[in-house]
Amino acid sequence: MYDTFVGLEIHIHLLTKSKVFCSCKAHYGDEPNTNVCPVCLGYPGVLPVLNEEAIKLAYVVAQALNCRLSPRTLFERKNYFYPDLPKNYQISQFRDPVGENGFIDVPLGEGVTKRIRIHDVHLEEDAGKMIHAGDMSLCDYNRTGYPLLEIVTEPDLSGGEEAERFLQYFQRVVRYLHVSDGNMEEGSLRCDANISINKTGGGLGTKVEVKNLNSSRFVRKALEFEFKRQSAQFEAGTRIVQETRLWNENRDVTESMRSKESSHDYRYFPEPDLPPFVPSGDFLRLVDSLQVELPLARRERLKTTWGLSAEQADFVSESKSLADYFETTAKASGQGASVANWLMGDVQKELKHFDLTLEASPLSSARLAQLVTLLESGRIHIKIAKQLLIAVFEENKDPETLVKEKGWEAITTESQLQPILDKVFAEHSGVVDAIRAGDQRQKGFLVGQVMQATGGRAAPALVNQLLAKALG
Amino acid sequence: MAKLEDSWRRFSEKAASYTAYAKAWEAKIGAFLSFNPQHNPASTSAVPAGQSPVAGLPFGVKDNIAVAGFPLTCGSKMLEGLTSPYTATAVQKLIDGGARPVGKTNLDEFGMGSSTDNSALGKTNNPWDVTRVAGGSSGGSAACVAAGQVPFALGSDTGGSVRQPAAFCGVYGLKPTYGTVSRFGLTAYASSLEVIGVLATTVGLTRSVYDLIKGEDGNDQTSLKSEPGPARPVRKIGILKNLTGLAPGVEAVYRESLATLKKLGYTLVEVELPTLEYAVSAYYTIATAEASANLARFNGIRYGLRPEYAENPEDLIRKARTAGFGDEVKTRILLGSYVLRSGFQDQFYTKAQKVRTAIRRDFDRIFEEADVFLSPTFPTTAFAHGDTTMTSFQQKLADKFTVTANLTGQPGLSFPAGLADGLPVGLQVLAPVFEEGRLFEVADRFAEAVPPAACPGTSLDWSL
Repeated sequence: MYDTFVGLEIHIHLLTKSKVFCSCKAHYGDEPNTNVCPVCLGYPGVLPVLNEEAIKLAYVVAQALNCRLSPRTLFERKNYFYPDLPKNYQISQFRDPVGENGFIDVPLGEGVTKRIRIHDVHLEEDAGKMIHAGDMSLCDYNRTGYPLLEIVTEPDLSGGEEAERFLQYFQRVVRYLHVSDGNMEEGSLRCDANISINKTGGGLGTKVEVKNLNSSRFVRKALEFEFKRQSAQFEAGTRIVQETRLWNENRDVTESMRSKESSHDYRYFPEPDLPPFVPSGDFLRLVDSLQVELPLARRERLKTTWGLSAEQADFVSESKSLADYFETTAKASGQGASVANWLMGDVQKELKHFDLTLEASPLSSARLAQLVTLLESGRIHIKIAKQLLIAVFEENKDPETLVKEKGWEAITTESQLQPILDKVFAEHSGVVDAIRAGDQRQKGFLVGQVMQATGGRAAPALVNQLLAKALG
Repeated sequence: MAKLEDSWRRFSEKAASYTAYAKAWEAKIGAFLSFNPQHNPASTSAVPAGQSPVAGLPFGVKDNIAVAGFPLTCGSKMLEGLTSPYTATAVQKLIDGGARPVGKTNLDEFGMGSSTDNSALGKTNNPWDVTRVAGGSSGGSAACVAAGQVPFALGSDTGGSVRQPAAFCGVYGLKPTYGTVSRFGLTAYASSLEVIGVLATTVGLTRSVYDLIKGEDGNDQTSLKSEPGPARPVRKIGILKNLTGLAPGVEAVYRESLATLKKLGYTLVEVELPTLEYAVSAYYTIATAEASANLARFNGIRYGLRPEYAENPEDLIRKARTAGFGDEVKTRILLGSYVLRSGFQDQFYTKAQKVRTAIRRDFDRIFEEADVFLSPTFPTTAFAHGDTTMTSFQQKLADKFTVTANLTGQPGLSFPAGLADGLPVGLQVLAPVFEEGRLFEVADRFAEAVPPAACPGTSLDWSL
C-alpha cells in the first residue's frame, strides 16, 4: 500500500579526554559548571583550537562508513540563539564535511543484510544542558564543547523496526571502533529520525522530522506512530505538513513542535577562527590503522573459521572485546565451538554469580583455553571442568595448577582404578553377588560407588570396562 | 630615540608626577575607561625583562582586549562591569617583556565606528583640539599616546581602527599583517579582517612593540609566523593616479610629502586601483556578516548586562540585547544577519568575498610595480564631535584607504606627515604581507626629514 522512507541523524560523543575546541575535561556526570573555561563559556576574545584526537576519530568513523574522505574539511558557523549554546552559534560543518557518500551494510536477520547509504559525517560541538526548576531556568555548560559527530543517513530504512535494528547495530559499530561509548541513556548517542510515506512506487513523500528519541525502542515506536498517523491522513485525503515533531514518551505519541515556515535559517558561513583541516599522509595512515573488522563481517568470519552456529556467532561477536577474547581462546585451545559454548553457558553463569565482567574476572583467555584443553584432551571430565571453572573464579589460579593441587586429574589407567574397584567390591560383596546372580540393575549402584570413591575423577568408560571384566 | 624610552622608564619612580600629569590630561580628553598604574600583573616568563626594549614602560590597552584583573567593556553597556578572567597573548608578551598595562582605553562600541563617539561609556576628545574627535575605533589609544599619558598603546584594526585615529592624533599606527599577532584575547568584531595593532610616539617604539607581540600562538589557529622576503631597500613608492575627494588641508600635506619623499631619493610610481570603489561595500558586507555571529554570544546569561526581570530565557536574551547594544551595533548586526540569509548569500556575502579576491590581485600587481603603496590615511583631519557634514554613512565611505589592507591582510602604517590648520595629517604606507620592515623604513626616513610635531601641552618629564 505504502512505501515508508526513514532516514536517521545520529549524534555520538567522541571518546576524547578533552573538549573539541578547548582543553576542558570531557567527562559525564561531574558537578554542574565545573568543566568550563573562558573558551567554552564564550567569553569575549577567546578562540577555538581544534582537538586533534577528535578530528582523528571523526575520520576513523567516516572511513569505516566507506565515505569519501575530505582532503580539506571546513568548519562553519551555524547560527541560532539558545541559552545552552554560549556563543549562540555552533561550530559545525556544512559545505565540506569530514566524509560524504558512504554506506554501511546492516544485518536485519539471518542471511539478510541491507546497505544503508550515508549522506555525510561531520564534526561539531555539543551544547550545554538547560534545567527548568520551578520558575527558574538553570544552565550547565559541562557538556558544552563535547566533540559531537553527526552521521546522516539517506532515507533508506523502511520503517520503525528497521530503524531500531540499524541503530542497535550502529551502536555496536561505534563501540567496535572505540570512538564512542554509544550510551543512549547518558546521551552519548542521540538520534533524530525523519520519515516520509507515499503510495507504493510514488517516491519520497513529505518529510517529517521526529526528535527527542532517547532509546532505540522510542525510535521504533515513534516511527510506527508516525506511519499510522501519516497513512491515516493519506486515507482521509489530508495534506501531510512538513514539520518537526517531538516524541512524547509518556503518552506514546508525537506532537508538533514547529512547521517548516517557522524553522531556523542557520545562516551558515565559514568559521573564520579555524583554518580548513587538511589531513596529511601520516594522518590518513593513522586513521587507516585504526580501522577494525566491523561486527557483521566479524560474525560471518567467526562462523566460517570456527564453525560456529548462528546463535554462537551472534553471541560471541556482540562486542569487540568478547570477539577478541573468543578468538584468542579458540586459537590457543584449537576449540572454537567448545569455547563458544563455555562462554555462552557456564562462564556467563559464573560472571553473573560473582558479579564481574569478563575483563575484570580472573578468567583470562589463557585460563579458559587451558580449561577447555584439559577437558577436550580427556584429562578432566565435564563435571570436574565445571568445578574447575568455579575454582578459577574463587582462587584466581591457573586451571593446570588447580587440577594438580586438588588432584582432579581423571583416572584413566587400569592400574590406578583396579585397587579402588577392589575396595568397593569388598565393601559391597552382597551387591556383587546379586549382580553375578543375574541382577544387572544393581550395576549402576557400583558405578556410582566407584565415582564417589574417586571424587568423580574415574573415566566412566574405563569403570564400565573393568566392571564388565570383573563381573563376567 | 632611546632617550624617550629612558625617560619613560622612570615613570614608576616618579609615580606622583606621572599620575598627576596623566590625570590632568585625562580630565581634558577622556582617553581611558579604566586607569590603574598601580596594577602590576604577573609575568609568566622565566626570562628577565631587563633586555627588553619595552622594559619598565607603561602602556594603554584598547578596552576590547583582555587583561586579567582589568575591566573588559568593549565600550558597551552590555559588558559594563565585566572583569576579564584572562589576558590576551599580545598583552601577556608585553608584560613578560617588563612593560606594564596601566589602563583600558575608550573605543567605539565593539570597535564599530571611526570617531569613538559610539562608545556607550565615555567621551574621548582629540588632545590637539578637544572639540574634535580622536578618531576610531581605537580613539582612546591614539589620544593617550598623543597626550603623553603612555608611550604606546595597543589598538585593534578591523577597517582602519588603528591607522585612522593615529592620523587624527598625530602618532604612528601600525596594522600588522593579518595573523602575525595573535587575536587571542581580542574581542571579535570581524574575525577574518582584524588584527591587534600598535600606536606609539616613534617608529622605533612601534617596531619594538610589534617585534615583541608577533609570532605564532597555540591559542589562535589563524596566527602565523612572519616570514618576510630578503631585505632590500625601498626604492619605488606607488601612489594613486587619480586621487580625488581629499580635504584641502590633507591634499596640501599629501603633495608636500610626495615632494619630500622624492627629495629623499624615492621614485614615485603612479598606479591604478580600479577595485577601490568596491572596497568599502565589500568590507561592510563581510565585517557585518562576521559581527552578526561574533556578537551573538552577548546574551546577558553568563556575564554582562542582565535585565532585572524576564519571563523566560528568550525574553532575557531579547531584553539584554535591546538594552545593552547601541544603535550602530544593532544596525551592523541586522545588516550582517541580512547578508547571510539563506538564498541571498551569493548576492551579498559570496560576492563580497569575490571583490576581496579582486582587490588582493590588484595589490599583487601594484607590488610588482612598487615596493610600497602610499596614500592619505583618511580624506580629512579630525572632525568635530557631532559634525553634521560627516554622517555615519560618509564616515564609512571615507574608510576606503584603510579597509583595503584588512581585506588583503597586508600590513599598513599611518605616520604623522604634517599639520593642516593645526591638526595632524597622517599618511599611510602599505606593503606586501610580512613586509612591515618596508613600512618602518619609509616612515623612519620621512621622520628624519619631517620630524613629527608634538601635541601642544605635552611634556616628557610630566611637568604640568
